[in-house]
Amino acid sequence: MSTKVRRVYGYLAEFKNASQLYKAAEKVRDAGFKKWDCYTPYPVHGLDDAMGVKRSVLPYFVFFGGLTGFLTAIALAYTTQVGLYPTVVQGKPANIFTTAAFFPVMFELTILFSGFTVLFGLLALIGLPRWNHPIFASKQFKRVTDDKFFIAIEARDAKFSAESTKSLLAEIGGDNIELVEDDSE
Amino acid sequence: MAHQVTSKDIPINGEHLEKGKIATLQMICGGIGGIGLLASLIYLRTGSGEIHGSYAFSWLFAVFFITTIVLGGCFWTFLHNLSNSGWGTSVRRLMENLGFVFPFLIVFYIPFLFPDVQQYLWEWMTAFKKATDAHPDMGSSEALMHSSNAHDHLLAAKTFYLNPGFWLLRFAFYFIGLGFFMWLVRKFSIAQDTDDKPGTKNLFAARKHSSWSMIIFGVTLTFLALDFVMALDYSWFSTMFGVYVFAGSALNSMAVLILTGIFLQKMGYLKNVVTQEHYHIMGKLCFAFTVFWAYVSFSQFFLIWYANITEETRYFLLRNTENWNLLSLTLVFMHFGLPFLALLRSDVKKSSKFMTIFCFYILFMHVLDVYHMIIPERGPSVGLVIDDHPQLWISGSWLGDILALVIAVCAFLFIYLRNLTSAALYPHRDPRILESANLHN
Repeated sequence: MSTKVRRVYGYLAEFKNASQLYKAAEKVRDAGFKKWDCYTPYPVHGLDDAMGVKRSVLPYFVFFGGLTGFLTAIALAYTTQVGLYPTVVQGKPANIFTTAAFFPVMFELTILFSGFTVLFGLLALIGLPRWNHPIFASKQFKRVTDDKFFIAIEARDAKFSAESTKSLLAEIGGDNIELVEDDSE
Repeated sequence: MAHQVTSKDIPINGEHLEKGKIATLQMICGGIGGIGLLASLIYLRTGSGEIHGSYAFSWLFAVFFITTIVLGGCFWTFLHNLSNSGWGTSVRRLMENLGFVFPFLIVFYIPFLFPDVQQYLWEWMTAFKKATDAHPDMGSSEALMHSSNAHDHLLAAKTFYLNPGFWLLRFAFYFIGLGFFMWLVRKFSIAQDTDDKPGTKNLFAARKHSSWSMIIFGVTLTFLALDFVMALDYSWFSTMFGVYVFAGSALNSMAVLILTGIFLQKMGYLKNVVTQEHYHIMGKLCFAFTVFWAYVSFSQFFLIWYANITEETRYFLLRNTENWNLLSLTLVFMHFGLPFLALLRSDVKKSSKFMTIFCFYILFMHVLDVYHMIIPERGPSVGLVIDDHPQLWISGSWLGDILALVIAVCAFLFIYLRNLTSAALYPHRDPRILESANLHN
């Protein structure tokens, strides 16, 4: 018998269908848990409301990402085309009124920087990429990609307790409640 | 989550706008619109001189402003049917009512058939007539080539399109073609309201007929803009003009739809079927078309500015002269810049208070946009016709612009309100009305 101490990830409970999960999620939310999540085989509309998920801060990152791109483009176009090496094309003066010629650059860099901020901001916020997730230790969890719905309440949550959390999950209709332990070394 | 709307919440005979509730508004609009329309018709038929020429432009400006909004209503109706979308079923009837103003607009267009009005607006008609009168034995294109005016040679190459016969034919086609299909598609929708066995028959019929209607819409909007606005300067070339008008048209008809929705809800209608989610989607479409408008109008400017070809630059040279430049710059920052930043957040699009202000604001910007398309041509054209002396601005002519705009808007509102009262406010027997009422995005 191994004496290795394993870290508890949390409780995992299985639900039969989306509407059961939806109702259960509302109850977990009302119980005041913060560090928990729902797992479903397909997107369930309105589940984020039922979970009480707040709006992401990502849009603000993207706004400032876009703004940075826009200002970069202005600086780039102006310093090169007006400051360092003015080129007169088709009799157009090389000064700030040539802005029209810089618009495509401004547009493209705004989009590019916004796009990068979306991608990398999203990855950072959701904590990807990562090698493994403790919840994969659960055998029954494999059915989440098939026909089962799960709620996992993490042990990190301030309200987590070995008994009451288990009984809460049982109360709201969870089956096969399992204590998931982190199996990584 | 909000209360789930079920078929119990939908009145069995639908919601109808009570005539009594809007009678005063409709009477005022009808009075001002009707008398103004009649007076304008008589004046444009009988008047002469500088004020007459000036008012011809004012009338075109006001009528074209209304036309763009109404055409947008046609566009959204056809698009909604074609794309098989479920979200907008509860506001679809508003789109149909807005689009169905189009056949009535023919009354507004009668003055453009008067030769006295045409001579101010479209110089190509005068040039065409002069040349064919001087050389009755030749074809129109050849006659124009014999003209001493160099610009007429440019027109000679365009006579396949710019000739009075074809112009009249197109004029008739716009109103008969699109007017008929708009009527037909709306008829299917209304027929469903009283259908004993409401199924998908009318819905599918509307979708089927929306397909070629969409093509007719595209042709109508593009060439109507070309014939009535772009042809103000027949020497000008731009391949973007139709798209440019379309962008403003889609944006501002959506603004009108949002306003209608908000006002009807204030009066106690549409409560069960229209939620802030609908305003959110419509706000998103406004945002999209704000950007699209900027994209298209900039493309048009940019290509012309870069290429620097004489026939193309005239449009922007005129509009960047003296005070017109101020208007052009206003459009850049106030028709694009400000609305773009204002509409970025999702919560403002869901707020009916904000959207009311925004929609009035963007409609005002659209007035300036149409003004910017049409009115700069007035001074040169009218001056040329009156005393062969083109000018930049005719003093006091803005009074006529405001007058014409008030008349056209009132007459438009009268017809629009009439359409709203003539049928249920939303298609209550549409199979997807509940899907739309419970919209979540």
